[in-house]
Amino acid sequence: MILDLHAHSKKSEDSRATVVGYLQWLLKKKEVLPIDGLVLTEHRQFDGETDYRRLEDEYGIRIFKGSEVETDYGHVLVYGVNQAMLDRFDFTNVRLSAQEVITDVEELGGIAVPCHPGRPTVGLCEHYEVKPPLEGVRAVELLNGGSRKGENERVEDLIRKHGYAAVGGSDSHLVSFIGICATRFPREISDEEDLVRALREGGYHPVDFRDRLAGR
Amino acid sequence: MSDTLPLGLDRSLIGAEFDSSTSEPVAAEDIRAYADALGEAHPSYLGPDPIAPPTFCVKFRGTRFHHTAIPREAFHGGFDAGKDIHFGVPIRPGDVIHTRNVLHDVYEKTGRSGSMVFVVARQTMTNQRGEMIAVIDSRFMLRPKERAE
Repeated sequence: MILDLHAHSKKSEDSRATVVGYLQWLLKKKEVLPIDGLVLTEHRQFDGETDYRRLEDEYGIRIFKGSEVETDYGHVLVYGVNQAMLDRFDFTNVRLSAQEVITDVEELGGIAVPCHPGRPTVGLCEHYEVKPPLEGVRAVELLNGGSRKGENERVEDLIRKHGYAAVGGSDSHLVSFIGICATRFPREISDEEDLVRALREGGYHPVDFRDRLAGR
Repeated sequence: MSDTLPLGLDRSLIGAEFDSSTSEPVAAEDIRAYADALGEAHPSYLGPDPIAPPTFCVKFRGTRFHHTAIPREAFHGGFDAGKDIHFGVPIRPGDVIHTRNVLHDVYEKTGRSGSMVFVVARQTMTNQRGEMIAVIDSRFMLRPKERAE
């Protein structure tokens, strides 16, 4: 199963993409973007209200929900968000303790994945140059569709050094960026809790569809 | 959610009105001049009894961009981060436009360039019949001065 693990809808203030727009695009581009589902990881919030089941049925594409939070080691994707996590952390706080997020999210049934680690200021690589590495990190986002030249490549060194698993996501804020990077899992994933299990199990790897999309 | 916003602003400021204004009656020639400036050719914008192109509403911006509670001394620059406009009924000659500006949101985020504070002002525009002309969310990015560690 191929999932775009990192996407933003209009609920993120800097995105102009609607979920319907994403689905229509993926349907139109399915020959070059074989995406089975996407995870909406809205900035500094969790959308616990919107029910996407009707859209899932209509378009045949799974829609999962997570969050992207901001910490003292950069941005982190949180999967398996539940009420206990929302009670534990103020997702609007841009200075969360990354170590607490990694550790406590895991304890509360989720998984926290540092995203765009190679990005200046808000990526793990730069923080690891001056601070101790975080404990308990299982995976990082090797392929981020919004990264600039060289940023994804910095992450390869990080992964080699620390033995992290690697995921991919588009970090899409516009409809036409959905699915350009994604993660291939060895099995079907049924819901957010199952996504957490799959991310903990391993056996997945990032996939890059940008060349296919560009016809190269 | 915290009781305070970035910069220690009280959350009760959200929704607080900081500006309002009422325009003179809109003149047909102003509508036609605006449409012409945009290169519009549709007769509904240019005829003897024109309706205004939707973005004509932006000229009724009130007298202030920000709530006075936003501490200018806390920032060393910024930029206009764009607008979201929800359009209602069109503006017509003779309409009197009332605007009401409130502080809609203040939030902080971090990016490649560092910390940013976004201030969102919501302007609600109505005509003399109380019909909604537009709701405009104007977003400003302000660059905070270095925080003391």
